[in-house]
Amino acid sequence: MPTPGMDLIRAMAAGDRDAFARFYDRYAPLVFPLVLRIVRDRADAADVLQDVFWEAWRGASAYDSARGTPEAWIVMRARARAIDRVRAMRRREETFVAPVDEATTAASGGLSGDAAARAEDRQLVATALAVLPQPQREVIELAYFAGLTQTEIAERLEQPLGTVKTRIRMALARLREVTLA
Amino acid sequence: MSSHEPFETLAAVYAVDALDGDDLAMFEAHLPTCPACQASVRDAHETLARATLSMPPQAPPADARAALVRRVGERRERRARGWLRWAAATGVAAAAAAGFAGTWVAVRYEARLGQMARDTAAVRERLARNEAALQEQVAFYRGVVDLLRDPATRVVDLRGQGAASSAAARMIWNDAAGGQLFVTGLAPAPAGKTYELWTIADAAPKPAGLFGVDPQGRGVHRVAAERGVKAFAVSLEPEGGVPAPSGPIVLASK
Repeated sequence: MPTPGMDLIRAMAAGDRDAFARFYDRYAPLVFPLVLRIVRDRADAADVLQDVFWEAWRGASAYDSARGTPEAWIVMRARARAIDRVRAMRRREETFVAPVDEATTAASGGLSGDAAARAEDRQLVATALAVLPQPQREVIELAYFAGLTQTEIAERLEQPLGTVKTRIRMALARLREVTLA
Repeated sequence: MSSHEPFETLAAVYAVDALDGDDLAMFEAHLPTCPACQASVRDAHETLARATLSMPPQAPPADARAALVRRVGERRERRARGWLRWAAATGVAAAAAAGFAGTWVAVRYEARLGQMARDTAAVRERLARNEAALQEQVAFYRGVVDLLRDPATRVVDLRGQGAASSAAARMIWNDAAGGQLFVTGLAPAPAGKTYELWTIADAAPKPAGLFGVDPQGRGVHRVAAERGVKAFAVSLEPEGGVPAPSGPIVLASK
């Protein structure tokens, strides 16, 4: 059953520029908060967003609705590009401590960073992730928003690797339930 | 592995892009063969997308849209010419995605390819630097070999003296071509001091250059040609060197 998003991607694959504009207007405001949440800087986030939608335009013909919804297609791409950006900055500056700390603090419900970031964190926590118990929310924050690997998360939280993996799996199962409800 | 259960956990960690090390290698080998895991990863991505889109929408800066729309317009005109390359690029992406767990794998590989390209550039740069250093070393050893091949070349041993009794050195010397001094077991000179080599013919010792040693106590020093040299000595001198030996002798030939 084709959705409006799928129709737009199909039209984009055929080279329809208006469809691209509509696709952007539909999804950019939904994806921008995620990118901003990850890269933290508005100008950087706008850059990343442009890369994401440019790739979507170029890759529209490779989209296969059997493999996922347009929402997952664009969100996963946006998250990957945003994390790329953060990792590149981390390599350049060798100081990734601050964003991770903020993510951890946000995950534990603490306060840090400027007021805008705090407001963002509260908004985020007030959405789907809010239903997760704190230990599960924390691992999702560190993996999905801060881009840490399971080993890095285990070290950071001083938890066994197996615990981290299990928490991620449980968190996703719980998120699945609530987002489908 | 007979149980599939561990893979279900790995699929969740993979879906949030947090898998690493052996787990990642194992799961990526398993994923293409396992429709159940492909479905898990897809399903987890849908979950993450729904959770993400539950954040309050926020309009991006207006100039981002304008720039994109402009870029898309420009590209279309050029697409006819760049068609082959474009087709190849999308073809590769489509092929990478086909049979796997969807676009996500392609996106991951795109990111990894970008990283690999950057790493390759870094390695190439490092290799170029290493090559230059190796060339220099080869030239140095070639010089020593040429020196040794000459029948007029002699090898002179220098023994450690006084406090530096555990030091030793060997001078490969040729009256016409000059020499090369190899030092071992000599403590690095203290701050404000340096080692100075002396050549001794018939009269007073003549200064033959300053050198240092590495933390392992090894040093090499190239010496200019000079006629009639009979002996060599090394002394510890003030930084910058002196015209006639003033400090303690640390190495001397017989």
